[in-house]
Amino acid sequence: MKDLKHLIYFEDLLQDANNELIRQAQSEGMKCIGYMCENVPEPLLNLPGCFSSRLRAPRTGSIDVGTYYLTSFLCEYSRALLERALEGGFNFVDAVITPDGCTMMNRCVENMEVLKAMGEGKEGFFFDYMEIPMKADYNGLDLYVLQCRNHILKPLSENYGIDVSDAAIRKAVSEHNRVCRLIREIGDFRKSETPAITGYEYNVITLATYAAPKHLIIDRLEETLEELKHREPDAKPWFRARVVVAGSEVDDTDFIKLIEDSGAFVCADRFCYGSLPGRDVIELNDDENALTQICRQYMYRGECPRYMDTAKMDGRRAYIDRIAKEYRADGIIFQQMKFCDPWAYEKMMGSTILRDEYGWPVLAVDRPYSIGSSGQMRTRVQAFMESIDIKKIRKEAE
Amino acid sequence: MKKVLKAMMYLLLCCTGLFAVTFVIYFFNLDMKLTSKIEPLLQKHYDRIERDQHL
Amino acid sequence: MAVKKSRKMVNPSGIKGDIRYGDLYKPGGKVRKRREWRGVKDTLYDYSRWLGIMFTLGKFVAVPRNVKAMFRYRWMANYLAVPMMVDRHTQGLRGEYLRMCHTEQDLIILDVAKLLANLFRGDRRIGNDKAFSDKVVLVDENEMTAVMMGFPGLKGLSRETPSTYVSVLLNQHAAEHYIDVAQEYGLAGDVCPMPEAEAGVSIDDDAPVLGKCAIQCNTTCDGSLLGNGVISRRLEKEDGIPVFQLPAPLRHREDDVQEYAAEEIRRAIKFIEEQTGEKWDWDYYFECARRVNVATRCRNEWLDMNKTAYPQVFGSNLALYTETNYMAICGKVPEFEKADRRLMKLAEKAYRKQKMAAREYRHRAIVWGVQSHFYMDFLVWLLNCWGIVPLTDMLSMVNTEMIAETDTPENREQAYYDMAWLTENMIMRNRTHGGYRVLLDELFEFVEEFDADMIILWEHITCKALDGMHGLFEEKARERGIPLIWVDHQLFDPRVISRQGVRDQVNTYMRTVMQEEPLDPTLEILDDDNSW
Repeated sequence: MKDLKHLIYFEDLLQDANNELIRQAQSEGMKCIGYMCENVPEPLLNLPGCFSSRLRAPRTGSIDVGTYYLTSFLCEYSRALLERALEGGFNFVDAVITPDGCTMMNRCVENMEVLKAMGEGKEGFFFDYMEIPMKADYNGLDLYVLQCRNHILKPLSENYGIDVSDAAIRKAVSEHNRVCRLIREIGDFRKSETPAITGYEYNVITLATYAAPKHLIIDRLEETLEELKHREPDAKPWFRARVVVAGSEVDDTDFIKLIEDSGAFVCADRFCYGSLPGRDVIELNDDENALTQICRQYMYRGECPRYMDTAKMDGRRAYIDRIAKEYRADGIIFQQMKFCDPWAYEKMMGSTILRDEYGWPVLAVDRPYSIGSSGQMRTRVQAFMESIDIKKIRKEAE
Repeated sequence: MKKVLKAMMYLLLCCTGLFAVTFVIYFFNLDMKLTSKIEPLLQKHYDRIERDQHL
Repeated sequence: MAVKKSRKMVNPSGIKGDIRYGDLYKPGGKVRKRREWRGVKDTLYDYSRWLGIMFTLGKFVAVPRNVKAMFRYRWMANYLAVPMMVDRHTQGLRGEYLRMCHTEQDLIILDVAKLLANLFRGDRRIGNDKAFSDKVVLVDENEMTAVMMGFPGLKGLSRETPSTYVSVLLNQHAAEHYIDVAQEYGLAGDVCPMPEAEAGVSIDDDAPVLGKCAIQCNTTCDGSLLGNGVISRRLEKEDGIPVFQLPAPLRHREDDVQEYAAEEIRRAIKFIEEQTGEKWDWDYYFECARRVNVATRCRNEWLDMNKTAYPQVFGSNLALYTETNYMAICGKVPEFEKADRRLMKLAEKAYRKQKMAAREYRHRAIVWGVQSHFYMDFLVWLLNCWGIVPLTDMLSMVNTEMIAETDTPENREQAYYDMAWLTENMIMRNRTHGGYRVLLDELFEFVEEFDADMIILWEHITCKALDGMHGLFEEKARERGIPLIWVDHQLFDPRVISRQGVRDQVNTYMRTVMQEEPLDPTLEILDDDNSW
């Protein structure tokens, strides 16, 4: 296939946490709100006057200092973020809001706060922590709304004078939805038998929408969508099998690239900071305040394993099954970042249930934050491809 | 009277004997030494039990 | 900054009987050569308590279904080691300290025996007493049982307490089989082995099946929360036992989470009422609440004593009892109130006489972090081997506030918040969650309050909440000139770091950094890898 016009641009945006669009938005007087977990409702960080940036540590090298503070038993994502913060790589951020979602993320941000790793010389800079519900129900919703009010809207308004009115929230949702619709439309090309986009390209584009201010990226997303409509896919599929990648946080596009280089096509992305369900449109009505509606949708659609009620636990596996069918997958790669407790359990449960009860071929793997070109992972994916091939041949023979 | 005394004597002897035996068991940890021999036998038994092992 | 100086105190009364405790160990053996000689009076006392324990065990074994269970559940084999657990915790104790330890341990044994008997009575595989089982609400091991404080007609039973928690106290290797089972099913080896073992018991089909319903709680950590998902799957989908998941907020010191927490308590109570047909009994609740307050008052007083030069209820006498009484009992068992009062009397008596529990007190330490469960008697070892007095430990630094205990309309509403508060402030989670202040800052406040000159910092290596403060603990200790000894362990799994591995970390620090010689050199290196 012909290269996408803006792919290199999007790739470049992911090379640096403080990318050029963030610098541009800040030069326009906007405040950059850093966050690390999908349980923070993104539109609330994109109110007029501020924008969200999902903190990453691209091109991570040594994480020795992060490891000193957090030990080698915390996930590399949290260690890499702390290391980057201590190196001054997040000094551009004007506030950090994090939920007490997983312990490691929480500890990572607490270390940043105690070590004063960020915010130097930034008047109004703040760290804030939210409690988020562990069950999806009315009580969880009340908590979610209250927490968003107290730990997102209040400090944004008090520290930076951000307009946190219902109208402002609705405006932010509207812009958020524009991005979501574009990403969803681009992602729909993956459903085709001969897809016009690779999983890697899609991952780069999606991740860019988390890492850069939305209003500055929309025009390029629109152009890319138009380009895809006319892009000629390869006549013969270049992959051996279609896979859903499910599981924990992935912000390393090399991981998706490695999977695709090993013969798979990543047709669906059900991981933290993927598009499913992270780029679902938020539907608002006029009968209820926007904040409550946002929280409700985040809570019910959330696929985070820290939701502990049975409906949610069952729903997580049913959701993967549903998208695997919708995106015509041949198998599922269930991945977890090493040392991630929630996903360690969810990977065990999810991979077993999807294999035994839903009948999917499943590869369960754990991986480091930055995978590079791991030969071990490549071998495992290749072996998985072969097992899917064998299953296909057997099925055809029957 | 003699009978009562004899009975008491007998009771005292029994109690002393019981005390002596149990104290020896207690002090030389014979109870634990015995149970430590039983445990491996139980483990073999548990390994033989069929279980419905699954998630 | 200069290192804080310690003040050595020598026990004027000395210690009667054996003082070379390492000589009692049989190298490579499962059990010890003999029991300790504590002088005539204390040995006879210890002997009498041993007889009492034997009587409790005898009564337990006399019930045929309990014997049947012994041959069904792998973890039951660990109960062969009950008397040895007591011996491990009473090592070196004399006088009031020995009596305190027995008061606690004997009661805990009795309580666990009752728990086991009840579990097997209702167990579909063993006793299959359906009427009884219908009165059982299953609760987590790591769960405050506050929501059961108003149900006198129901039994809140934990299956995980006897299968994993107590088992590992009895036998250091008890959880290994279950950890391996969970890992065979794909669970990573870097999660906390406690919920991992609990999940392993469920996967291995080794948990009693009983109860009308179950209450699970997110309790201590991400692992614990997720491990419950493994257990509830079998409970709900296979055994037909409905589960209510009770989420206790993590940022428990914040005002804006309390209403959420209280509402979850209301819902949990409603769930139990609906499932069992029992009604919440306020009289019983406030009676339990009063007992919770008695326990809190006593613990507060013991902690106050421990701030003086003559600490009395400390080490495992404080730690193990607090864990049981605070969390599992939570005011529901009157015998524990009696034990509280007896312990108080013993402590006051010893305090008045300015008694000491060892030959020498060389260091006053705060023990922080999560203790190695497979080596709970480590605190006794610290005292006997190095003269380090474990003044208090993180798991004992729980709620110090009184809860409403008189029945008024306002207090009935307050009660939901009290139960929520207790649940949020369950042992361990009240420090490992709630922000860094409760774990980091308050440690150093306690160091000041207790006039400690040392920190023993358990680093449970797969406890992410603790690991995440590693560097900051170290820096703050350095800033304040407090010697901090890291003691790494893997909670339930001595294959990762053995008991000697645990001891070596202290030995090395004491010899190289503190330049000290042990109080009892026979305890420095012990060949107890195979020991219970």
